[in-house]
Amino acid sequence: MVKILAVHSFRGGTGKSNLSANLAVSLARLGKRVAVVDTDLASPGVHVLFGFAPQAGQSTLNDYLQGPSAIHDCAYEVTPAEVKASHGNVWLVPASMNGDRIARLLREGYQVERLNDALFELSEKLRLDFVLVDTHPGINEETLLSTAIADCLLVVMRPDSQDYLGTAVAIEVAERLDVPSIRMVVNKLPDSFDSEQVREKVARSYEVPIGALLPLSDDLLTLASGGLAVLRFPDHPWSQGVSELAGDLSRSLV
Amino acid sequence: MDSLDVQALPVGPLSMSTLLSLEPAGLRLVLRAGLRQGIQDGPLRQLIGESLAFPGHEEPTKPILEILEQRGWLVRQGELWKTRLG
Repeated sequence: MVKILAVHSFRGGTGKSNLSANLAVSLARLGKRVAVVDTDLASPGVHVLFGFAPQAGQSTLNDYLQGPSAIHDCAYEVTPAEVKASHGNVWLVPASMNGDRIARLLREGYQVERLNDALFELSEKLRLDFVLVDTHPGINEETLLSTAIADCLLVVMRPDSQDYLGTAVAIEVAERLDVPSIRMVVNKLPDSFDSEQVREKVARSYEVPIGALLPLSDDLLTLASGGLAVLRFPDHPWSQGVSELAGDLSRSLV
Repeated sequence: MDSLDVQALPVGPLSMSTLLSLEPAGLRLVLRAGLRQGIQDGPLRQLIGESLAFPGHEEPTKPILEILEQRGWLVRQGELWKTRLG
């Protein structure tokens, strides 16, 4: 049965989409069938990491939520060549980058229940092992739904005072919704920080398992969302941390 | 076990933010169980029985299910009960 991973952060700029894309590829390298669904409908972006841009006539998640498209017509296989040998697959459900479509979605809204149904319809159609839901930062109806239906919630934060406070809210919400599993991911950890102190502070603050502590990386900044770090820099500590997280999730959730 | 206070329940369609605000915790648990692909009748009744008490009712499952169904928060779809978000 498919496992839903909601990748969430309370604040923007945590590297949530980057983590979603790289985690999806890492799971696919373990032979898993994975879909990434971009539910950050107001500011989509995860497609960029896969080098994918919806062309005219290609359906996006918006066309399913506000139109007649079937969800499987909004999914595109983006499996990198390096991953195919592992017999894993990655599909992407992008959100529209068209300004009018984004505005229409924000103006008119949609039945959030359709998002729930979409994830499971897609899972059955593509025989998925994992669906990664790349959420909008903060709390709204979509993020609450994604949290409530998740088998595991990955909460991404930077070691930043505002992030610490906001993350507490996200954890409180997840606990009220009885999410079965939560993992903290601390991203963009500067070299000057003592990682063990951060680990202890996060553990003490939230009493939630830490999935990964990922360093702030010049290499990733150089990549500038123009590729997937786990493929371009597989030996980098950031990539290794994501790969280890994928292994942990694969073992503990399946 | 948590007691359900029907008078304290909001009226109208269920949203995720409403679900989040509901008390007691057992009610959120029941409605969360109806998300995803839904829940079968037997497991739902068992979950209600284990999670919620209804003052004045020794057998709370049936009246609680009726209340949630009347509000349109739980709907039967074939063999499954699904939480309906408005």
